[in-house]
Amino acid sequence: MKNIITVTWYSLREALARKVFIFFFVISILTIIFVGLILYLTGIEKIFAPGMQSDVFTAVNSLEMMFVSPITLICLLLSIFSSASFIPIMLEKGNIDLLLSKPISREQLLLGKFFGGILVVFLNIAFLILGVWLIFSLKFSIWNFEFLLTIFTITFIFSILYSIIVLFGIITKSSTLGMMIAYLLFLIVSPALYTAKYTLSVLIQSSFIKGLIDFAYYFLPKTSELMGKTNYDLASGHGITNYQPILTSLLFLVLTLGISVAIFRKKDF
Amino acid sequence: MDFNSIETTGLTKVYSSSFGKRKVQALTGLDLTVSAGTIFGFLGPNGAGKTTLIKLLLGITFPTSGSARILGEDISGYKIKSRIGYLPENHKYPPYLTGGEVLDFFGKLSGMEGDLLKKKIDELLELVNLSQWKKTKVKNYSKGMMQRLGLAQALLNDPELIFLDEPTDGVDPIGRKEIRDILTELKSRSKTIFLNSHLLSEVELITDRVGILNRGKLIREGTVKELTQKNEEYKLNLEGSNVDSFIKQYQDIFQISKLNNGYCNLKVSDANELNNILDKLRGEGIMVKEIVQQKNSLEEIFISLISESEKGGLK
Ligand SMILES: Nc1ncnc2c1ncn2[C@@H]1O[C@H](COP(=O)(O)OP(=O)(O)OP(=O)(O)O)[C@@H](O)[C@H]1O
Ligand SMILES: [Mg+2]
Repeated sequence: MKNIITVTWYSLREALARKVFIFFFVISILTIIFVGLILYLTGIEKIFAPGMQSDVFTAVNSLEMMFVSPITLICLLLSIFSSASFIPIMLEKGNIDLLLSKPISREQLLLGKFFGGILVVFLNIAFLILGVWLIFSLKFSIWNFEFLLTIFTITFIFSILYSIIVLFGIITKSSTLGMMIAYLLFLIVSPALYTAKYTLSVLIQSSFIKGLIDFAYYFLPKTSELMGKTNYDLASGHGITNYQPILTSLLFLVLTLGISVAIFRKKDF
Repeated sequence: MDFNSIETTGLTKVYSSSFGKRKVQALTGLDLTVSAGTIFGFLGPNGAGKTTLIKLLLGITFPTSGSARILGEDISGYKIKSRIGYLPENHKYPPYLTGGEVLDFFGKLSGMEGDLLKKKIDELLELVNLSQWKKTKVKNYSKGMMQRLGLAQALLNDPELIFLDEPTDGVDPIGRKEIRDILTELKSRSKTIFLNSHLLSEVELITDRVGILNRGKLIREGTVKELTQKNEEYKLNLEGSNVDSFIKQYQDIFQISKLNNGYCNLKVSDANELNNILDKLRGEGIMVKEIVQQKNSLEEIFISLISESEKGGLK
């Protein structure tokens, strides 16, 4: 455990040394300032119709999501980009030799790196979301604590994508393939499968194709659903309305990580 | 000490490329023992398999066949590494860390912490002459400084067995002397040191035993003395008016030949023959002022052994 914490902590150091994460942090600060300016200088509350007063909670919530969603999306894309080289750098000749010569098991080393990457993104996302939430809460005196749960959904989405990056990083010792697959899954495959499963499949006759879509849908992680519906439900206080996307995605994460560890344990350096 | 720090039996490593087409036989049936408290020099041309052996022993690479034990334990476990230090060739450190932080990171990975680790870091930086560079990022270190830091890193956990892969690579002559002194001091504290090096004159100075590896096979192993001694060859310093005629007279019977400044070279088959000649010299009234058994440098032996083994390999 101590070993994992050491590696995690030093992975955090590694991330802080990267410019991308600084950039990420700057974006968060700018967003928070921007939100603050809009809320306090423009009198945005006037856009709410007087009759809507009773439902200010929902309105504020939607506004919060409106600001936070695109920024978290950008942050996720940046995080994938910047964390993609963690594993390949660790596997470089002269670096991995030294790490493996220490009394640390290969599982501990890999898990430490994995948690390190997640911790960085978690801290960044938490900073951003907390900041925006605080400004809204102060302005409208509505303290919707459940909005903060989105910190965990976003971090969870990143963990899934990062596990893919780790797996391909170990196999190819380079960042390109893993990064491409993560982007592909996040931006194209996951939204496409969601649409195929819930909109298109009503129109499809062939049970074979239907089965195929089902298989792909249930097997692959549902990042776009988590980013959309799950996130929104949580933020607006409805809690988790459907556990399936979370559980099946978690299963995928565990599987990917398990395969990564299995390959890493046998690899020659 | 009476136990072995390193023991390998039939240790073999075949690297196969990612598509399995090209195979490299890096180590073939290596049987080697290194006893505790000694400095062992492992020599061999580039690509001989020296680094491969260290990597196998440390679990960085896995053997194709054969087995090995370090400090009495099988190499498959990782906990034993808390008693081992390693300076890899071409080692890299996170460039954004300072020298002190690098040592802190690897110290923690070796299971050290708190004030003990802090004290150890300062002590080691002092030992390798890097104290004033403690707070400098390693990306600004010179090659020799990196090497010194690497040595400090290898000694963090006060290891019993230390693997050094070309520790003096890129280090200036004074630094090399300092490193030799550190190694001798470690030996005096009964640490075992396994040293890969190409600097044979240095190896000759500090090692107890050496092994010579070529193309993955151990072709010779022994003490430096055993390897470098030319058993039956002597250099004599003679004085007397009849030295020249003596040599002329006996050069067909004994293998004696004249060198410069009153020296001559003598090859004999055994000690009897040597004494026989000495009797004859004395009988002729020739003064024997000096008699020195001839030695090869380790380098000469190395080159001749390797070329011999290459010829054998070509057959
Ligand atoms: N990871 C690897 N994959 C494939 N082949 C390898 C690998 N590492 C080493 N080899 C090959 O194994 C052989 C032995 O290499 P090794 O690094 O052990 O040599 P060495 O004796 O340390 O040489 P040098 O003196 O140059 O450091 C070489 O032919 C090398 O190409
Ligand atoms: Mg080598």
